[in-house]
Amino acid sequence: MNELRDNVDVGELIQFIVIKIDDEQYGINIKYIDNIVRMQQITRVPKVDDYLKGVINIRGEIVPVMSVRMKMGLSEDTITNKSRIIILKTGEGDLVGIIVDQVNQVLTLDVNNIEKVRYDDKKSTDQAKFVGGVGHYEGGLVSILDLDAVVSEKEIKEKSSSAS
Amino acid sequence: MDVSQYLSVFLDEAKEHIQSLNDNIMILEQDPENEDCINEIFRSAHSMKGMAGTMGYTRMQNLTHDMEDVFSDVRGGKIKIKSADIDVLLQCLDAIQEYVDNITENQDEGTDEHQNIIKALADIRNGTSGEGAAAPAAAPAAEAAPAPSADTAGADGSSDYRAIKLDPSIKSTLEEAVSQGKKLYGVTVHIQESCILKAARGFLVFKGLEEIGEIAVSDPSTQDIEDEKFDFSFSLVVVTDESKEKVEEIVKSVSEVEGCECGEFDLNGAKTTEDKEEAPEAAQATAPAPAAAAAPAQAAASGPAGGKKPVGKPVVNRTVRVDIEKLDVLMNLVSELIIAKNSLISAANTSGVSNSNVNEQIEYLESVTTNLHESVMKVRMVPIESVLQKFPRMIRDLNKTLGKKMELTMTGEDTEMDRTVVDEIGDPLMHLIRNSADHGIESAELRAQRGKPDVGQIFLHAFQDGNSVVIEVGDDGNGIDAEAVKNKAIEKGVVTPDQAALLTEKQCVELLFHPGFSTAKQVSEISGRGVGLDVVKSKVESLSGEVTVRTKLGEGSTWVIRLPLTLAIIQALMVIIGEEKYAIPLDSIQSIEDVSPSDIKFVENKEVINLRGSVLPLIRLNEVLDTESKRNPDEDMVVVIARKGDQQVGLVIDELMGQQEIVIKPLGKYTAKCKMISGATILGDGEIALILDTNSII
Repeated sequence: MNELRDNVDVGELIQFIVIKIDDEQYGINIKYIDNIVRMQQITRVPKVDDYLKGVINIRGEIVPVMSVRMKMGLSEDTITNKSRIIILKTGEGDLVGIIVDQVNQVLTLDVNNIEKVRYDDKKSTDQAKFVGGVGHYEGGLVSILDLDAVVSEKEIKEKSSSAS
Repeated sequence: MDVSQYLSVFLDEAKEHIQSLNDNIMILEQDPENEDCINEIFRSAHSMKGMAGTMGYTRMQNLTHDMEDVFSDVRGGKIKIKSADIDVLLQCLDAIQEYVDNITENQDEGTDEHQNIIKALADIRNGTSGEGAAAPAAAPAAEAAPAPSADTAGADGSSDYRAIKLDPSIKSTLEEAVSQGKKLYGVTVHIQESCILKAARGFLVFKGLEEIGEIAVSDPSTQDIEDEKFDFSFSLVVVTDESKEKVEEIVKSVSEVEGCECGEFDLNGAKTTEDKEEAPEAAQATAPAPAAAAAPAQAAASGPAGGKKPVGKPVVNRTVRVDIEKLDVLMNLVSELIIAKNSLISAANTSGVSNSNVNEQIEYLESVTTNLHESVMKVRMVPIESVLQKFPRMIRDLNKTLGKKMELTMTGEDTEMDRTVVDEIGDPLMHLIRNSADHGIESAELRAQRGKPDVGQIFLHAFQDGNSVVIEVGDDGNGIDAEAVKNKAIEKGVVTPDQAALLTEKQCVELLFHPGFSTAKQVSEISGRGVGLDVVKSKVESLSGEVTVRTKLGEGSTWVIRLPLTLAIIQALMVIIGEEKYAIPLDSIQSIEDVSPSDIKFVENKEVINLRGSVLPLIRLNEVLDTESKRNPDEDMVVVIARKGDQQVGLVIDELMGQQEIVIKPLGKYTAKCKMISGATILGDGEIALILDTNSII
């Protein structure tokens, strides 16, 4: 998943799916997306971290689903008609689902229009920890999700231990 | 020649030969005169030498060659194997094993020449027989056939057309042919030692010669040549109109033929089978082989040549070697099929199609998938034998290093288990056996004091019990001293003295499985590195099995490993807890009971029930799983009685759904935190049910 950042220097066009979490827009590089599915029944797994909502069945495979909102320290998801589960492929080839409030559009950005976020900024807020860069387009700005941070377990442990 | 493609065959065969050598040398130690055994060893050593030579592993070839020489002398009656020699032979085996290991790792045999072993082997040969050196080194076939046919065998000991014996009827046919003006040629064909497909080369020679004439007789017989039952040369007599040069040209045109000798075949000079002294061979129809190659089985008793026959090259096995990964793929497909079948059943149920035809077909499909699953499972099953084979040798070595007298008896080596399980179970078993040898069996003096036989017994029993395989490893030694274990545990800080006081004897013994626990007063090389039993336990548990121990101080102890037959598809009881569905593996369930809430008693503030005389703790699964029970508290409860070892508990559930064949799917690392769930399965309607791991709940 480190490639996400490496690609920045290549000078090409990258497609992003723009999603909405709370009132903020986030972009996810399309190459890490396996599938986008409607909200479906999630089977709860007992005794795991709160952000892990459970598991779902994607084409016969058991896929864990996590709440990005809860990871970001926001309030619990409110499931609406627009809620979607985005199935991501992790570096090791596993699938992980993340719940988002809404999927807005597909956005094509020139790599030169993506600004990396300085490391110091990352510490500012919980949300910012998951942002790897900011993309400029005619309609405004979009934060690019750092998927490594989103799906990593390590980050969470630090977070949950500091929270407790 | 590129031999890399034969590497895996070479390695497989080398392992088989090493094992066979190992077994036979052990037998030889008990019974130094055992001829079958000596023949078997000779044959294995000889095959290994040939294989190593073909593959270009010269050091291995040298070593096996020297080993073969020793047994060649033993067969010839020049020397006898003494018990001291057995050690040398076993060392030699270890050295060969080392070569094989090196080859497995990096395709290179390594550089160790094991000169000391080669010298020791030479000493064995010289020890009693000064003429040891007389045994020709380069001609194994000559060694194979020293006695009866030595006079007729060719100078290099391999097959020779002049030695062909004729059946009287064939002789008369040949005489007739000669009188018709045809010519008889005897041909001896030598095939390169590096040739892999000897039989095919032989076939090509036959085919070529049959174009110009008729092959009257061959040695060994055509059938044996096709079955590769010959060394590197064979002879035949051909009846033809063509010239000798033509015959030679045809034979030499076949690739990998090293050379051939060809000459007029002198009918009168040839022996007939009637000249032969051995009666059973004369009874054979056409041209029996002169000792060198495939002598009939009866000869086994009468001459050393018979040794060629029994196991060296088994009659072509109708088997295929399949990559385990391919079987995994097949297994996954079967799993998918079963999920699809389950979906079909639930779809038929919910859509209300109660057409009897549909139901019939679904039932048929169900039986087919169940059979398919069983067959695929069986294909993956291998006898546990491959793992157990190395233990007798290990015990023998331990006898010497520990200075104790011990004997290992094993039963149920043919018990079959999933290949993946068999591969993993070797180390835990080895550890338990070493443990028994090191800690279990007492010293000779103590055994005498206790009135036990001076040879300590270590046993290993494997057997199938329902859907699981049980392996028991035990000894008639000291047993486990619960007090000593407890004291040690306190000393090591595993438990506090207060906790220890509350432990039952059984719980004390179970402390042995605690990580970093070793009761050995001295750390020896055999066991007692402190990473023992907990590793055994975690390994067994990683295979979804369990390990328990039964022990009696002064009388011995038995470790019991219980493993599931298969890891991918199991029978499970589907239950509802709260609003969620869970699967409980059927293996771990003893019975299902209805229990009235008024029957619940309290022991130390914990709920228990009295079931047919035994008191079982109750576990309310909805509490463990953080969910609300939907059942009215006054109603009778459904209790699943589950067991772990000989411990039983009652698991309170809300509702039963029934039994179902389920496919286990891994949950992945994110949910690894939850130990109570061992996996998940997909139900017919696509819904997910989690599989409860009763072992960790109990």
